[in-house]
Amino acid sequence: MTLKQTLLHGFWRDLPPFRLVLGLCPALAVTAAANNGLGMGLAVTFVLVFSNLIISLLRKVIPEDVRIASYIVVIATLVVIVELAMKAFFFPLSQQLGIYIPLIVVNCVILGRAEAFASRNTPVLSMADGLSVGLGFTMSLTLVGSIRELLGAGTWFGLTVFGESFEPFEFMVQAPGAFLCLGVLLGLMNAWSRKRGEIFVQT
Amino acid sequence: MDLVLLAVGAIFVNNILLAQYLGNCPFCGVSKQLSTAAGMGVAVIFVTTLASIFTWLVYHHLLVPLDITYLKTLAFILVIAALVQLVEIFLKRHSRVLYDALGIYLPLITTNCAVMGIALLNIKHELGFGSMLVFAIASAAGFALAIILFAGLRERLLLAPVPVAMRGTAIALVTAGVMSLAFLGFAGMVQ
Amino acid sequence: MREIGRLILVLGLIGVGSATSLAWVRATLAERIEQQEDLYVRGPALSRLFSRPADELLANKVKISTDSAEYPVFYLQEGGELSGLAVQAAGQGGYGGDIVMMVGIDVQEDELVGVEVVSHSETPGVGAKVEKADFRSQWEDLTATEHVQLRSAGGSIDAISGATFSSQAMVNGTNQVVDLLRDHRDEILARIDERIGAGGES
Repeated sequence: MTLKQTLLHGFWRDLPPFRLVLGLCPALAVTAAANNGLGMGLAVTFVLVFSNLIISLLRKVIPEDVRIASYIVVIATLVVIVELAMKAFFFPLSQQLGIYIPLIVVNCVILGRAEAFASRNTPVLSMADGLSVGLGFTMSLTLVGSIRELLGAGTWFGLTVFGESFEPFEFMVQAPGAFLCLGVLLGLMNAWSRKRGEIFVQT
Repeated sequence: MDLVLLAVGAIFVNNILLAQYLGNCPFCGVSKQLSTAAGMGVAVIFVTTLASIFTWLVYHHLLVPLDITYLKTLAFILVIAALVQLVEIFLKRHSRVLYDALGIYLPLITTNCAVMGIALLNIKHELGFGSMLVFAIASAAGFALAIILFAGLRERLLLAPVPVAMRGTAIALVTAGVMSLAFLGFAGMVQ
Repeated sequence: MREIGRLILVLGLIGVGSATSLAWVRATLAERIEQQEDLYVRGPALSRLFSRPADELLANKVKISTDSAEYPVFYLQEGGELSGLAVQAAGQGGYGGDIVMMVGIDVQEDELVGVEVVSHSETPGVGAKVEKADFRSQWEDLTATEHVQLRSAGGSIDAISGATFSSQAMVNGTNQVVDLLRDHRDEILARIDERIGAGGES
């Protein structure tokens, strides 16, 4: 892939968690509000860019047999850094995201990109891939968060949108709303994709 | 009595999958058949129990005394990854039957956020050893229950006239939403 | 053999790199993280306890270590005199784990000013009622030299119905602070004097 293609593929062709069905847990768990989704997305992007960079730099050194173990150590280190940085600079957000920040470590998107891309491409391309997939993920999470927050609480990024008379669907900010919202969005994207004549098979 | 409530709460009210959203990748991935879902469920109960014991011990007897609790993410994932490897090797050597039944699910479990999530929740809720054990087993059983029920639904879903665009993961998620709604009915059951 | 040697070397080097970078990040951010915790977690509890803005109180902090735990202690001065203390303790035995609480003490009268919940993981709707003012107001003006007890144990605190564990945890936390004050009073006062002498208000 060229650099331009690499930079763009995360926004539609491999958009997580919709087109690349990985990383569903955070997409469901932290999207009760738009800013939580945005924060989680950016945290994942940070880890993804640097894990891709480091793994790509080390790709010729890491022996085949222990590659997954090495990737996990690199990713976990970056996640701890994010955890500490969030506590130091965005404390309220880090409280709200709670255990879902350490759980970035088991987010399959990150390990997936390390294995599928960074382990066989140059550092620059790998960083571009991390940035693209990461921002795509951020976009998706913010979108899901916006829909759920708007319908479920009548606010967007904490600002009141619908005013006093609006009776929020509390259902949307609870667990069932998360599954439903993600499922319907996925269905809409599939429909759009079919309309454009793309061949796309979900696994 | 308290432990019973803790267990019921973990299985139904705060179901790890349907209320806490942990473990969704295998939930969607291996829930197409009842038999594989059951296998995954049992494997998760098994690994979660072991992983919770080890991570709890590591946290309380290694990280806390050394005052390096900020490393828990790193320590836990390494413990879980190593544990899964060891369990796989052990089963291969000593219990062919179990290995044939659970073997293929084990590698998937390292990146199953339910296992790591339960390990982290044990610490977050500051549980003692006994209640940790009950909580871990009950949470994992909740996962198994949800994935088995869900697989049953999905097997029938194959025969349903679902719009083309919604087929596959999309309708699976919506179904999970309806199930989650049903589980919401348990809220308030445990005081 | 060479292969295995290489495996171990590479994994070891990655491990060392990871440990070094984490230790560095942690060392750089530790102080800021604690300030943030004070600001967002302890600050609101403190300011409710003494009805003062939190930033006046947060700087007045000493840490007292005992054999079993470390207690952050905040102090309040009025007219140059030490008037109040707030000690953070973890009340053990809650239904969902420890309840982290802040116990306020009037040093002049040796009375409890009140208790505030800093963080808890009790069941919403029941155990979480420990946060309610009418439960916590039972602490006001109790003597700070004796243990508090639930009414079922012959004391003066009415437990929240259906949440005896949570109520007991609050009592346990308070009693830890009563013990701390009894056994380490001189140390606490000396540390505070030292701090006031060294840097005044800051």
